[in-house]
Amino acid sequence: SFWKTEDDAKGAIYGMYARFRNVTNSNLFLWGEARSQNLKQSVGNDFSNMRIFQNTLDAVDAGPSWSTLYQVVNDANLILKYVPEISFLDGNNKNQILAEAYSMRAFCYFVMARTWGGVIIFTEPTEGYIPEKMYKERSSIEDCFKLIKDDIDKAISLYPDNNFITGRNRWSKPATNALKGDVYLWTGKVMNGGNSDFSTALNALTEIESSDVMLLSEFNRVFDYDNKGNKEILFASRFQLYESSNTGYYRMYIDQLPPNPAPEASEVIGVPRDGNYWTLSDESLAMFSNEDQRKDGTFYELYSFDAATGLYSKFYGCIQMKFNGVVDAGSRYFLDDVIIYRYADVLLMKAEAENALGKDPSTSINKIRQRAYGENYSKHVFVNGSKAQNDMEILNERLLELFYEGKRWWDLIRFDKVFELVPYFKENPQDKYKLLWPIGLNILSMEPNISQNPGYQER
Amino acid sequence: KIKKILMVILVVFLPLTIVKAGNTKSSMEISQQQKKQISGLIRDVNNEPIIGANIIEKNVPGNGTVTDVDGRFTLSIEENATILVSYIGYLPQEISVAGKTYFEVILQEDTKTLDEVVVVGYGTQSRETITTSISKLDNKVLENIPFTNAANALKGTIPGMRVQTVSGQPGSSPRIIIRGGSSIKSPDSATPLYVIDGVTRYNMNDINQSDIESIQVLKDAASTAIYGALGSNGVVIIQTKSGRSGKIQVNYKYDLTLSEASRRYDLLSAKDFVYFSRLGLYNTGQINSALLAQLDGSTYAGGAGNGLSKDYYSSLMYLTPENQHKLNEGWQSIPDPLNPSKTLIFEDNDYQSILFRSGISHNHSFAVTGGSDKATFHLGIGYSDNEGIAITTDYKRFTLNFSGDIQVTKNTSAFARVMYSNRSDRQVHTNDIFKSGLLMPPTNRLYYEDGTLASGRNFGFANPLYSLSVYKPRNLANDLTLIVGGQVNIIPGLVFKPQFSWNQITSYNRNFRTAFWNGFASYDTSRNANASFSQNFSPQFNAVLDYAKSIKDHDINLMAGLSYFGRNNDSFNAAGNGAATDLIPTLNASAVPTSVSGSESHHVLLGYFSRATYSYKQKYLVNASLRYDGASNLGENNKWGIFPGISLGWHVDKENFWNALPKDLIKLKLRGSYGVTGNISGLGWYQAQGEYNSSNKYNGNSAIQISVLPNQGLKWEQSKTLDFGVDMGLFNRRIDVILDYYRRVNDNLLTTLDMPPSTGFSSIITNYGSLENKGYEFGLNARIMPYSSDFQWNLSFNVAKVNTKILHLPPNGIENNRVGGEYIWDDKLGDYAWKGGLQEGGKIGELFGYKQVSIFATDEEAAAGPTDTLIPRTDKTKHGGDVNWLDSDKNGIIDSRDKVYMGNQYPDLTGGFSTFLEYKNLSLSVRMDYTLGGTLYYETGARIEGNFSGANALSKKILRSWQKQGDITDIPKYYWADQNANWNVWNNRGSSRYYQKTDFLSLREITLSYSLPSNYLQKMKLSGLRLHLTGSNLHYFTNFEGLNPEQSSSDTAYPVPREFIFGLSINF
Repeated sequence: SFWKTEDDAKGAIYGMYARFRNVTNSNLFLWGEARSQNLKQSVGNDFSNMRIFQNTLDAVDAGPSWSTLYQVVNDANLILKYVPEISFLDGNNKNQILAEAYSMRAFCYFVMARTWGGVIIFTEPTEGYIPEKMYKERSSIEDCFKLIKDDIDKAISLYPDNNFITGRNRWSKPATNALKGDVYLWTGKVMNGGNSDFSTALNALTEIESSDVMLLSEFNRVFDYDNKGNKEILFASRFQLYESSNTGYYRMYIDQLPPNPAPEASEVIGVPRDGNYWTLSDESLAMFSNEDQRKDGTFYELYSFDAATGLYSKFYGCIQMKFNGVVDAGSRYFLDDVIIYRYADVLLMKAEAENALGKDPSTSINKIRQRAYGENYSKHVFVNGSKAQNDMEILNERLLELFYEGKRWWDLIRFDKVFELVPYFKENPQDKYKLLWPIGLNILSMEPNISQNPGYQER
Repeated sequence: KIKKILMVILVVFLPLTIVKAGNTKSSMEISQQQKKQISGLIRDVNNEPIIGANIIEKNVPGNGTVTDVDGRFTLSIEENATILVSYIGYLPQEISVAGKTYFEVILQEDTKTLDEVVVVGYGTQSRETITTSISKLDNKVLENIPFTNAANALKGTIPGMRVQTVSGQPGSSPRIIIRGGSSIKSPDSATPLYVIDGVTRYNMNDINQSDIESIQVLKDAASTAIYGALGSNGVVIIQTKSGRSGKIQVNYKYDLTLSEASRRYDLLSAKDFVYFSRLGLYNTGQINSALLAQLDGSTYAGGAGNGLSKDYYSSLMYLTPENQHKLNEGWQSIPDPLNPSKTLIFEDNDYQSILFRSGISHNHSFAVTGGSDKATFHLGIGYSDNEGIAITTDYKRFTLNFSGDIQVTKNTSAFARVMYSNRSDRQVHTNDIFKSGLLMPPTNRLYYEDGTLASGRNFGFANPLYSLSVYKPRNLANDLTLIVGGQVNIIPGLVFKPQFSWNQITSYNRNFRTAFWNGFASYDTSRNANASFSQNFSPQFNAVLDYAKSIKDHDINLMAGLSYFGRNNDSFNAAGNGAATDLIPTLNASAVPTSVSGSESHHVLLGYFSRATYSYKQKYLVNASLRYDGASNLGENNKWGIFPGISLGWHVDKENFWNALPKDLIKLKLRGSYGVTGNISGLGWYQAQGEYNSSNKYNGNSAIQISVLPNQGLKWEQSKTLDFGVDMGLFNRRIDVILDYYRRVNDNLLTTLDMPPSTGFSSIITNYGSLENKGYEFGLNARIMPYSSDFQWNLSFNVAKVNTKILHLPPNGIENNRVGGEYIWDDKLGDYAWKGGLQEGGKIGELFGYKQVSIFATDEEAAAGPTDTLIPRTDKTKHGGDVNWLDSDKNGIIDSRDKVYMGNQYPDLTGGFSTFLEYKNLSLSVRMDYTLGGTLYYETGARIEGNFSGANALSKKILRSWQKQGDITDIPKYYWADQNANWNVWNNRGSSRYYQKTDFLSLREITLSYSLPSNYLQKMKLSGLRLHLTGSNLHYFTNFEGLNPEQSSSDTAYPVPREFIFGLSINF
């Protein structure tokens, strides 16, 4: 039977990552960014996710449920239960696998805690039908973060070294440190963890810099299909031909050429595929400067012929360019890796931690700007200002740098800017309960001991 | 009159005593001088001679003879006497010999159910002594329609058996469910067991119906308990034909079938489509302004951006000098309803008539049978070539069935059988073709200007002609069964019957997708090829020791046996990409292997069984059986199970007190049975031990994932059935009635149970809860005309009802141990309550949706209506033309709690009627069947009113949709892509208008047939010729609007064809 040999453990860890793709292919973007309203509906329609993008979720349409996350948690729990019993030729390999499983479990609970608040904690795998063990109640948010932090600490203590031993499509010590920074920034800001959390975050993020990471000089190369696992990546969920299905980024491309398109637009689009459902909001669009190489690396504006002006001046919407996949045998496949952490993100988190501690974040931010503006950098140098000003700059920088990467909604909560920047919340400042997602009726119906999040319809 | 009939019946039994009837000798001698010699030929309706038929002089039982191997007889008889002609299983005839010396007599088969010989598990029994619930198919059903799948013949003919054609693809098997099925999660998957010539199988596909001798269905547990582990969902027993001693008989049958689509969607013409599409797009644009850009686009119903080049999939465009010549080529035009100064032009294609055709099918079968008293043989050969009603689809089948029996010694006989079929078919690559392909907007281009096929908006919405041209499927299967067996009479009454069989089904499936245009801008050259090969090998052995003994009035029969049933499945499949050419469809052309997989699995079921039957004076009947079964796929400690069955019968009509009634006025038998059967059909071969799946990859590495949770506690699912039955014959069995009532409780159901998602699993297979099926079955057969009449008229009717209730579920701390369900307003309670899902006391398959009360006639009326929270966007304003939904909790808000009960997915009442009229050589039969109680969400109906894909055809109902303030109608205003608008018809709403009852009455068959009289036959040197004309699936009387009311899960499937058949059967 299974769980006897080192190869079984390896097969299982790949199984866990393969399952993780169900989390990353589109849900992570929906949970982490869609609600920030940095996008608006384009010429296509994505009615199934409309409530997410418009912040009108309710128990009936509650967005993706946590089932994909708990499947990964269960895979991690199986590994954590059985792998310690397996003998390995090299103990480091065993520790690496266990560290990765702890990191994965921590990440999944981190996603859940930020999305729904306190959730059910399973640290043992499900191995049969045992009603009294299966129908659990939710744990407190504090207990969830305790588990997350414990798992991170265990993982970091288990990693053999500070390198990408098993590659950048799996967890590693630098990647787990990025997660640690992310978690402690969250608890520092959202759960009143204060300076001790910020220091912990800063230390973890700083430790990453001694590993093999760098900013690529060409922004768009970070995301290319043929440049997977480049040195800017800390951890990305791997997608590839003949192995996985498309990521959700097909929703932001285009299925047809627009009517009477500008000639260069047809060229940029190349092979169309799927839908043009969501495009940049006017506010987001205005934030990208033409001097910023991240603009072309992130999206492309489509124009069509306007008979009135005789020019290609009719704006038709944007298609995303970051995760536009690969064209193989005449068809486009959205199979770019979904990036969980990359070095630019780390630098901006570091700046955020520094600023929170009252330190000057310029160095970190300017590394980002140098790459972004290239020869125009001198016009865009960041200068240390007040703590609030710096925060705003960091938040904006994160939008420009990490657009489409599933971070914005959580950034807004962390920086406490939801009610200032998100149109729905500007209009409905009373809807504080909506920072957490509702729990869907399908979950409430199958998990009777689960309580709805306050504010949402109970059943 | 009754007395007269009684006499005829009595005569049936008289010949048996002829030999002993020596005391009539003297009367024969006295009348010697007036005698004359007569001769004749006795045949059955198929003009086959009847060997051994009795001919006796009426009132002179001692004077008689039997027919020879050619069916001929001679007899000397008094000048004006009457002869009685009889043979077991046939209706006797009385004929006056006055003035004639040569007689040709055709005996009609006696179809009265009370006299049948019935095949029971591992043996046969007379219907007279049967104490369980067993139905036999009237073989007339098999005569006229060349079913590509003979299981379809069971429709409406067996009470308690639901037979649904879920796909009209020739050769595909219908869904067969007996007595409601024993599954708590998917009653539609509880299929019966098939036993064909003693060989256990899981379907009856690819059998030539001409080879079938009889089909019977075992329904109650006492009759199926002998099949123990496999008997829970009923058993269908099929016997194929075997040889008869006597003259060699040759039969050839041919059927020519013309088939066509029996139902179609009622869609808007191109002009109306364009008119409403433009308005609908505009309407949705008013709600979501981003979509207004579509009006100028080439996609959907846009009109401005189109042209005649290959860059546009729709023909809709504004009239220009460049395109106006198309108007002379059949294109049409209307003023743009949004800007009447411009003219829109377009072509009108009927995609339904492009996808459907008249299919022509040929069916040949040839049979030779004959033998001596030492050895007999039967050979049947069949060839069937069928075209489906959807273009490119077909089904071809060659079958061979050979059996030989030989008397080895006085006490030993042996037999061997070969059954073989070779089948190939082409099917559509996806059933969605019957949705998206049929629902193409009429304005979509079929061909481009250069004559090539237009590819459509994208491949998912491709012109059906194009998408079918891209796939190159090839499916083959060989099915071979070899059977050898024998019979040894050890001592009188004791018989040993061993049988070995080997069944091997191999199948090969290949598909290839040529390079294709996915829309106009993407030319996909991946050329995906895949192929799979699978072999199912099943060795079986069973041996039975049978002992029969009669002591005075006591008849005893004892039987014991064992059965080994092995199953081995070995398969592999592979897929590749990147072939350089469209010409080589096989895998060898692929440049890149994209996936490979293989599996080997084995299963063994071992059983020991015994049965005892006892009858006293054929009046009191007792039947008991016991089976002990072990299955390799059950949990460690639960591999073996015991399945007993007992049944009792009482021939009330054989009691003395019954003599108070006129003789044979009423025959009455009462039956009662109880049995336990097992079921493991829902259990995979390795599920108990849990499964890890290695079909995924991560970064090129094989990824292993737990896919099935282990459950070593898995045990037998048990069905306990109590059955009461009445067999009644009235007026000397001119009317036969069979009535059954049963209650079946299924415990420890093997079910995939929904797990809480936080466990990381969606489901686990477990023994879960118990379910009750309760119902009755009623069958009636009436012979309207007397037995002696030249004109015969038979009527039969059957009905069965089943009620299913969930009795117990495992405790989970919730009321009724509910799993799933809907939290909705309950008017009776005056509060909210959980409905549906699985809960104790509840039913399976309950459906809930939103009730459409009316259509708001005006904006004011809409504004006064409840707030609809289902619409995702923040602005939830409703207008005239939107649906007014039932606010069942009257709180002014429409939300999920306002859903109401819409019906049950599963039909619960089934049955059929048939009538058979015959006058001399001419006969007419009509069969109808009905199914009631099911409800289906008619998704396509919503789709063609709401245009969810953005580019499908529209329903004719749109013509009477709400169009202006004050309109009163039941069809809402048309919004393009309603999911972006007000959810008036969108699926996530679940409107009551689309939860439609699938109740239907089907005019299943009308056949007119004619058998040539024998005087013509003799001239043609034939012994029989029968011609028939048949209409099959002629009409559904139903309110269901979709293509197939026989569906009970999805409304997207290959539609059922209507068929017209000309058939011919010749005997040489």
